[in-house]
Amino acid sequence: MTAEPVVLVDNLSKTYRVPEREGGFAAAVRGFFRRTYRDVPAVQQVSFQIAPGEVVGFLGPNGAGKTTTLKMLSGLLHPSAGGARVLGFTPWQLKPAYLRAITLVMGQRNRLSWDIPAADSFLLNQAIYRLTDADYQRTLAELDELLELGPLLKKPVRNLSLGERMKCELAAGLLHRPQVLFLDEPTIGLDITAQARIRTFLQEYNRRTGATILLTSHYMADVTALCERVLIIHHGRLKYDGGLTDLSRQIAPFKLIGVALGEAVAADLSRYGTPVQTEEDGDKHFIQVPADAVTAVTARLLADLPVHDITIADPPIEDVIERAFHE
Amino acid sequence: MLRIYQRLWQVTWAEQWQYRANLIMYLLYWLVSPVVYLAVWSAIAEAQGSVNGLTANDFATYYLTLLIVDQLTSEITIHAFGYKVQDGSLSGELIRPAHPLLTNTLVYNLAFKALSLLGLVPVWAVLFALFQPDYGTVTLANLLLALLAIGLGFGISFLLGAALTCVAFWTTRVWALYELYAGVTVLFSGQFVPLSLMPPAIQTAAQFLPFQMFKYVPVQIILGRLTWPEVLGYYALGLAWLAAAWLLFRWVWSAGLKRYSAVGA
Amino acid sequence: MPVLRLIKAYLRVNLQMALAYRAEAVVHIAVNLMWLGWELLSLTIIFNNTATLGGWGPGELVALLGVFRLVNTLMAAVIWPNTEYFNTSVRDGSLDYMLLLPVNSLFVVTFSRLTLWRLWEPILAVILIAAGLGLSGAGAAPLNLAAFLVLVLAGAVILYSLWIALIAFTFWFTKFDNNVTILQALLDTGRYPATVYPTWLRVIVTFIVPIALATTVPLQALRGELSGPQVALFLGISLLSLWVATQIWRRGVRRYNGASS
Repeated sequence: MTAEPVVLVDNLSKTYRVPEREGGFAAAVRGFFRRTYRDVPAVQQVSFQIAPGEVVGFLGPNGAGKTTTLKMLSGLLHPSAGGARVLGFTPWQLKPAYLRAITLVMGQRNRLSWDIPAADSFLLNQAIYRLTDADYQRTLAELDELLELGPLLKKPVRNLSLGERMKCELAAGLLHRPQVLFLDEPTIGLDITAQARIRTFLQEYNRRTGATILLTSHYMADVTALCERVLIIHHGRLKYDGGLTDLSRQIAPFKLIGVALGEAVAADLSRYGTPVQTEEDGDKHFIQVPADAVTAVTARLLADLPVHDITIADPPIEDVIERAFHE
Repeated sequence: MLRIYQRLWQVTWAEQWQYRANLIMYLLYWLVSPVVYLAVWSAIAEAQGSVNGLTANDFATYYLTLLIVDQLTSEITIHAFGYKVQDGSLSGELIRPAHPLLTNTLVYNLAFKALSLLGLVPVWAVLFALFQPDYGTVTLANLLLALLAIGLGFGISFLLGAALTCVAFWTTRVWALYELYAGVTVLFSGQFVPLSLMPPAIQTAAQFLPFQMFKYVPVQIILGRLTWPEVLGYYALGLAWLAAAWLLFRWVWSAGLKRYSAVGA
Repeated sequence: MPVLRLIKAYLRVNLQMALAYRAEAVVHIAVNLMWLGWELLSLTIIFNNTATLGGWGPGELVALLGVFRLVNTLMAAVIWPNTEYFNTSVRDGSLDYMLLLPVNSLFVVTFSRLTLWRLWEPILAVILIAAGLGLSGAGAAPLNLAAFLVLVLAGAVILYSLWIALIAFTFWFTKFDNNVTILQALLDTGRYPATVYPTWLRVIVTFIVPIALATTVPLQALRGELSGPQVALFLGISLLSLWVATQIWRRGVRRYNGASS
């Protein structure tokens, strides 16, 4: 049985009109009288559907149109063309019933007031979303259990670490038990442990409540851990819609091997794979190797060279996507 | 050294030019009170011929001159510097071989002044047309004499403002303190009401305080209402307060720096 | 009543914030009293030199000072903190969250921040009004008192509407974050009866930034200088301005989410 899709996006497009402005006083005066505009297409004819309970990753380089799409789906932006239905609503009509059924959490923005403990902001949300005391207590207890909020709720938000704050932000966004979650970079800036925490939480939350989740992230690990399906958007167009396993096979069948060699050794690594310039880790050299050759190349490296340290990693998500569309 | 100031000027001017729209709002904000008091006193003076010897024209010349003098002697150090202590961005400036307050902040004050004066010109012209003051008593000599008084006034006001801003090294509530200081300035500088209309006790106190150098004294000099000996007397008072303000500033600054480095902000 | 619960919840949050800044509150109250001293001193100086100002005596000006301070409280306790909050949320993007709440966006934007410790100021203002009326020797007739109360409210609504329009302009002119300075700047004109001002200034504070409608006019009603139809007219103007402001706000939000372009 195929369930009715929760999110239905049909040829959704958004074009921003940006005033064109040159520098200088004369240009400013001219612009005052006759403005010239440039149309910047941010999202172009994007269509997809999401079934209830699905967790979908939304990927793309900066400026690809991810956030614009999320904003249209949550109702903040009006599309220039095309349509979308979420839970049967047209998002940008901003019907209260719709707003009570969804949430938008943006990793870089705060909804909690800095000066007071999160618990007090939560009470405000209870009133705003008209939650009964019983419902509120039940959800809060559940979120507390999953996120281990405990003592965090009683401290002023300004005294929380970034990771702690994000936990509280997520909880604040979920108090009204939304059926659809739009998450824009929910783990940005967090350390590895905190990222993992948020990930497990989202997984568990999805399992327990059956909520539908659409999330964007720069971290491949977020996506691999949470999403079976990804959407890739580039220059405003949907380039890929499908399983994650297929994606890496199709687009980035590579691994990055990093080797630290003894000081005196200046070996030519291009014999083993394609050398890659990276900014971090000055003393390490990186080469790109086809995924199926990793074991063999690693063995050869260890045998041939005085290797101090070796790491094997996925190429960064940005690289994967860049690669996919620029080859 | 001059080169530092020249470069700083270029950078700061360009920076503030970006905010010229805000400046118009600021000018408006700062302009209303004097204009209100001018309107009130002109109405009274017109109704009864004169107030305490001051005619409606005396009030018009007083307040319109005050607008310019106030712009020249005022300082905005707390806006330009206070937050740097609190958010730690002062550290970056401290490791440069130039005194942060006496270079950066001073030039910031001056650039702001220049820009505000530029904005004030058209506004002043409109007010001149509306109130039509008679500036018959102003002479070139008066203007030159006033220039020195204005210099002294700005020097004192800048150093006192800087010393006060340095209290930010100890407490985040420096803003409230500054507001109290602003209140005292209003009372003793002749900002809203010419000092000669104030109660005698306040007039006497004002004679010994530095605040009249900010507004009342330069205005009186420009309008030719002071005799030579009086002018020289105010110069002496101004110089004495300038020296005192300098010592106070040096002391608060070095004590503040000690604390800043101890706390390690 | 969900609305009452909502208001209660907002008051709770603001009380929390007021408690977090109680030391600042004490200092500000002290500064405020200092300004009160200055205001009374100004009046003393003025009435040392004249018997009436624009036809009004010292008692009436003290009462006007009270009305002015009521408006000032509206400005300082509601308009400033919410504008600051609004401008910050436009800059850091958290306005998105406010617009996605299932509550009237205008309510959220204009009433989510209240400086509660300023609540003593209206009390002081009422004392000033009462003292001023006592000083002028003119007991207020109940009908005039009612007209006065209605017009204070109407004046507040007019200023509130102007404020909404000003912050809504941020949606068109993104750099317009000095939006309420013009209101605050001209507020100072409310300390004195608009009748003493030269015509051009009177026109500005009556029609363009109608501070006088919230200060001078209610007091005129209290003195029995306004007729019934005039009171009704001002009330009508206030309701109309509220309606216009709401429309501007709606258009602003529609522009923000790109519905209008």
